[in-house]
Amino acid sequence: MRRNRWLLLVAALVAVLAFGAAGCGGDDDDAAAEETGATDGGQPAAEQVFRIGWGAEPPSLDPGKATDTTSSNVLLALMDPLVRLNPDTLAAEPALAESWEVDGNTVTFNLRDDATWTNGDPVTANDFVYSWKRTLSPELAADYAYQLYGITGAAEYNGCEKNCEALADAVGVTAVDDYTLQVELTSPQPWFVQQASHHSFLPVHQATVEEFGDNWTDPENIVTNGPFMLESWDHDASINMVKNPNYRDAANVSLERIEGPIIVDGTTRVQSFEAGEIDALDGAGLPPEEIERLKTEPYYEQYPALGTYYYGFNTKNISDVNERKALSLAINRKIITDEIDRTGRDQATGMTPKGIEGFDVINPNSPWLPPEGDMEEAQALYAEVQNPHSKINLFHNDAPGHKEIAVAVQDMWKELGVETTIKAQEWAQYLEFLGPPPNKAVDVYRLGWIYDFPDAINGLELFTCDSGNNNTNWCNKDYDALVEQAKSEADANARWELYRQMEGIMFDEDGEVPLTPIMWYTYPNLENDAVRDTFFISPLDQIDFTKVVVQGS
Amino acid sequence: MAAFILRRVIWTIPVILLVILMTFGLMKNIGGNPFRKTDRAVTPQTQANLERKFNLDKPWYQQYALYVKGVFTFDFGPSLAQPGRDVNEYVKEQFPRSIKLGLLAFVWAILLGFPAGVIAALRPNSIVDYSVMFFSNIGFAVPSFLVATLLIYYFAVKIDLVPTSGWPLGFWSLDSRVLLPSFALGLLPMAYFARLVRGSMLETFQQDYVRTARAKGLRYRRIVGLHVLRNSLIPVVTAAGPLLGFLITGSFIIEYIFSIPGIGRGFVSGVQNRDYSVVMALTVLLSLVVIVANLVVDILYGFLDPRTRETGR
Repeated sequence: MRRNRWLLLVAALVAVLAFGAAGCGGDDDDAAAEETGATDGGQPAAEQVFRIGWGAEPPSLDPGKATDTTSSNVLLALMDPLVRLNPDTLAAEPALAESWEVDGNTVTFNLRDDATWTNGDPVTANDFVYSWKRTLSPELAADYAYQLYGITGAAEYNGCEKNCEALADAVGVTAVDDYTLQVELTSPQPWFVQQASHHSFLPVHQATVEEFGDNWTDPENIVTNGPFMLESWDHDASINMVKNPNYRDAANVSLERIEGPIIVDGTTRVQSFEAGEIDALDGAGLPPEEIERLKTEPYYEQYPALGTYYYGFNTKNISDVNERKALSLAINRKIITDEIDRTGRDQATGMTPKGIEGFDVINPNSPWLPPEGDMEEAQALYAEVQNPHSKINLFHNDAPGHKEIAVAVQDMWKELGVETTIKAQEWAQYLEFLGPPPNKAVDVYRLGWIYDFPDAINGLELFTCDSGNNNTNWCNKDYDALVEQAKSEADANARWELYRQMEGIMFDEDGEVPLTPIMWYTYPNLENDAVRDTFFISPLDQIDFTKVVVQGS
Repeated sequence: MAAFILRRVIWTIPVILLVILMTFGLMKNIGGNPFRKTDRAVTPQTQANLERKFNLDKPWYQQYALYVKGVFTFDFGPSLAQPGRDVNEYVKEQFPRSIKLGLLAFVWAILLGFPAGVIAALRPNSIVDYSVMFFSNIGFAVPSFLVATLLIYYFAVKIDLVPTSGWPLGFWSLDSRVLLPSFALGLLPMAYFARLVRGSMLETFQQDYVRTARAKGLRYRRIVGLHVLRNSLIPVVTAAGPLLGFLITGSFIIEYIFSIPGIGRGFVSGVQNRDYSVVMALTVLLSLVVIVANLVVDILYGFLDPRTRETGR
């Protein structure tokens, strides 16, 4: 009898595993479509519950300390910014600020008088003065304090070591009255109003922050003023929000609840979506090996992004401009975007990406960045170089996708007679390696830049002589002068001409090519039928939950 | 026995000090800026402010002293990478989840691995034995992330038996989400136990006293149940202690794939983010767990094997 029981146990084991193996080879179940019900512009569902899969735990929900996209998107749901950006034109639209006037270096925001915090207090201009100065305070040590450096006295206050009261008072933001906020800028900075849509410009409730200190963002303490309220936050597990019934525009907000499990693994996110557990992902990225399959599904979406993926040269090592030009010409960007990356990205023909206002004027359509490369021209140019490198070190960080692109470029440069050694590094170490100034071993490095606000200056000012983001060892005084000039130029068209000149210094026929942009980013995403029509990700990676409506079957 | 335990406890202190020193040295040497998370460079003002806030502008020996003090007062300070979160709170929240995951994986290992090993030992070189060893090899060879992903695919996506990810957060709460992760994590221990038990039992069968018992005419079942099994347990218990310690300190891969908010994931993220406070706290915690696990095993050993007791340890 005992033998048979043991045998039964083993048999069960075998059966379970055989069952699993038998499942192999079956075809995919389009579970997503079945679960949520297809609809062609049907009626909104009775239960307006939206489930989004967040790709990371937000390190902080304090507008002064938040730096990543997840925090940003949650904050923009919980809070009411001064302005929001139109998703198509990226122009500033009134939100908490009804209107604003720009007069030289002074920007005046006129706030609505019916906005309230979740505890009933009215939102006033003083809240903004308190919050912005708090973000700039040395004690808070906010990563994003630099976003506010356009305000007079801001950089000085942030850099103060002790006895900072006087400097704090000198920061150029004041509440003229309860509903009028006046900002003094260091120069006209025509993009400032658009920049104010960034989460680092959000207000915080002074009394709450002073009472609870670091714990003020806990769900039981937090006080917000936006379309949704924080219901629960289980660290690393989930963030749930509910509609704020007292929001000034609550009548136009459809969603009642937003449930947000935090799923860090890309494959698990896709599996969770396909099992019908979530309605959409947050644009955090899809595993590269799944892209090919997912692109054929109806629930795949792609959004253009304001960001540039580029390879930078260490101009101290690769000092001959003809060599840089040849290396740049040899890269066939079309192969990279269409065969390797495959998320519908555009080949870059300059630094500034498509979608930035004035792109048609700004883009240099560089002869050194032909979409399909020009190997003959590249080889001819390479022959003219005095002491060409036969060995080059190409560095990249070890995130998914970069290695495949590097291998393709390695192959392309082989035809020039260059042997490329690819070195992958872990992120934090990589950043340290790049400096600036970059480590001597670095010849070429890979980086990307995601724009903070929709103006070309955000990307172009990276390459000034003193910029902490210029890892090329390239320094051009004329370029720097143009950057300063652009920051003070109020007229849009004139500014775009200046941007064109900056791009020209880098990428025109006689340009210095300190870097070679490869492609402009996109955000691939998965969204099911119920939300696809109303859910979208803006080019600045922002999600507007007030517009989302869950369709019923 | 009491003296033995006391001596071991006292020895823990220099071990922990050594662990702190090594962790501190390693973290300082791998470089990297804990405050730079994205492509954006940190402005010099912000860098200075943050370093001042977290005492990173002090000379290295002062920082080391602060760490040691923090460890012995159990106050690890705030997290560098997650502003506003206290490391103590973080560990208190996340550690029980890893413990639960580890315990459940251990349960799987005992439930399936142990009987499998016993059956294999009772029928050596039979088809049963070979199949058990075959599955054991699979358990060793197949990496846990592959198993995890396959399990999710078959049992959560294709057949909607369980959710794909997530974890019941309260320590005593259980729901269907615990099944896949604990099984995936338990696969290797299962394989390990099966082999260990089988090997140990086979060895015990060769012992003289077993042959004597058979010769005396004792029933087979009594021999196996009373003598062989109990005496084979010794190497298994010796292995189980550190294994359990290893399991409850969290598995990065399983926690990552199933989105389980535990310290396995936290530790690796901490190193990647150069979050010195979190890394220090977790390293010390992990060392303590291993030390305690080994201590418990040594004590159990004394009870299980009377021979060790006699030598007056």
